[in-house]
Amino acid sequence: MKLITANRLSDGRVIYVGEDASVVEDIASAALFDGDAADAALIAAASRPATFVNPYLVEVTGHTPSGRDRLKETIRSAGPTVGNSLRHHETA
Amino acid sequence: MYRYDEFDAALVRERVEEFRDQVERRASGALTEDEFKPLRLMNGVYLQLHAYMLRVAVPYGVMNGGQMRKLAHIARTYDKGYGHFTTRCNIQYNWPALTDLPAILSDLAEVEMHAIQTSGNCIRNTTTDVFAGAADDEVEDPRPWCEVIRQWSTIHPEFSFLPRKFKIAVVASQKDRAAIRTHDVGLQIVKGADGGTAFRVFVGGGQGRLPHIGQEIAPAVPGHELLAYLTAIIRAWNLLGRRDNIHKARIKILVASLGIDAFREEVDRHFATLRQEALQVPAEELARIQAYFAAPAFADLPRQSAAFDRAVLADPDFARFSRNNVRRHKQVGYASVIISLKPLDGVPGDITDAQMEVVADLAERYSFDEVRAAYEQNLVLPHVRLDDTPALWRELLATGLGTPNADLVTDIIACPGLDYCSLANARSIPVAQALSKRLADLDWQEKVGPVRINMSGCINACGHHHVGHIGVLGVDRKGEEYYQITVGGSPDEQAALGEIVGRSLPADEVAPAIQRALDRYLEVRIEGERFIDTVRRLGADPFRDAIYAHEFANA
Repeated sequence: MKLITANRLSDGRVIYVGEDASVVEDIASAALFDGDAADAALIAAASRPATFVNPYLVEVTGHTPSGRDRLKETIRSAGPTVGNSLRHHETA
Repeated sequence: MYRYDEFDAALVRERVEEFRDQVERRASGALTEDEFKPLRLMNGVYLQLHAYMLRVAVPYGVMNGGQMRKLAHIARTYDKGYGHFTTRCNIQYNWPALTDLPAILSDLAEVEMHAIQTSGNCIRNTTTDVFAGAADDEVEDPRPWCEVIRQWSTIHPEFSFLPRKFKIAVVASQKDRAAIRTHDVGLQIVKGADGGTAFRVFVGGGQGRLPHIGQEIAPAVPGHELLAYLTAIIRAWNLLGRRDNIHKARIKILVASLGIDAFREEVDRHFATLRQEALQVPAEELARIQAYFAAPAFADLPRQSAAFDRAVLADPDFARFSRNNVRRHKQVGYASVIISLKPLDGVPGDITDAQMEVVADLAERYSFDEVRAAYEQNLVLPHVRLDDTPALWRELLATGLGTPNADLVTDIIACPGLDYCSLANARSIPVAQALSKRLADLDWQEKVGPVRINMSGCINACGHHHVGHIGVLGVDRKGEEYYQITVGGSPDEQAALGEIVGRSLPADEVAPAIQRALDRYLEVRIEGERFIDTVRRLGADPFRDAIYAHEFANA
């Protein structure tokens, strides 16, 4: 199965195509596609350039990235693995 | 430091308004992403994994307190409360919204900063010795020459659409503290035959997929002809450089394929014409710029500082800080202080808005309102009274900036890696953090002495792994992160590329492997010998054996 991801034009955040062509931020809410439907949905996302920047397909098992770029897609979906380390100094 | 004249100010303001219009047209759909991308890149705006990334130019790494405060304001107002200093001495913001970028650039313009030419196929921000104007071994202050290059290269009509990016670095000492031989052009200020300023010129250095160490192309180009010579170099490359293959479009490839002698002939052919034209550095203009970099009003101080000496004796922690993070200054009674952005478990180069405010305050109070960005991803207060260093240190400690590890094994250079960068194959930061934690013992770090560990999350080498004494390169192996280790690289006047020691390692094996290599160094070094000198004497074999010792043990 595949889902469609992109960066949102306004702020660059990671977004996905959800059910009924909605825009969702959580990979768990992304719509899943198979075969030709995935290609058609990708074309539809690309036709919405005011929202989707550089949309592409991601292979998933369930909603978990499973293709060659699975680590990258996991980090895209969950955020940096190290993003909060700076705050240790301010709270210490 | 240099202050904008009316032309600089107008140029930056015009670029802000131009970009504001471009952003509005992109948001309205009038511009496609393909049309917009080159425009945003010309203003330092990338689209990374999670958000837009803005790279702000810090010309030759020099800032004042007001500029640092503005950088803090931007981090606080438009981002997530921090910025990231890079190996190009720039600062990057990882989370700005596209729609905020014109406002950010407008804020930057208020303090004479911008993001022009921090991306794209143009001449990038010139870098220099972080101790410029303070080092006791420099021929002269290189910063005015960096400013000359900045003014010449900014929106240069001939060089705005080069085959690829182009980087220049300048030093003014025999000691290379700016890694000039890893740049497209490296400049070393020397005394010419007439006693005047001249430039020893290296060309064709660079890292990335096909790394090369720069080769000397000219021993002493007179200062007034510097821009003509640089123009000749870049013109030769612009005309002959490959554009059919992005990986072969750098000048290093042209120099390597032609050979340095043939390339020199080509440059000299252009130079012969250019030096006759008006492309000279006017003495009066150079003097005007140099006046902005005049030494601050140093006090007449004794060589010994009683306050410094007392603090060293009284507090072992301050003694350690002074050993590792305080550097000699050409002015008696002063020192340069390195502010480490490599705390234990930290992200190399990251600094919070609150910390930036503190650094701005400290620069104003203790360092004639100057702060520098080092390519090692640290900051430097260049002109601090020795008397003031104990008080300064206490304030740094209080804000998490007092880590006494400059040039030690935990002073790790690392790119943002796959946590942020869309080009990366593997993460850099967690591996740097694992190393930092494993090698944290400061007594042990001092015993090991100066070792530069450099880490990149991909072959583009933003973490300069090729020239790390120990280099770590993240690679993708069928969707898994692995790390290739090199030994023996060096970025300085004895610049060298590291040797790959063997097969790549999974992430959790990197820190133990590097610790074994450093332990081996402690076993085999001659008294007083630095790690890199031991590698040069013995080669990589002892370290290769140590790095893969666990495999031999399990065989």
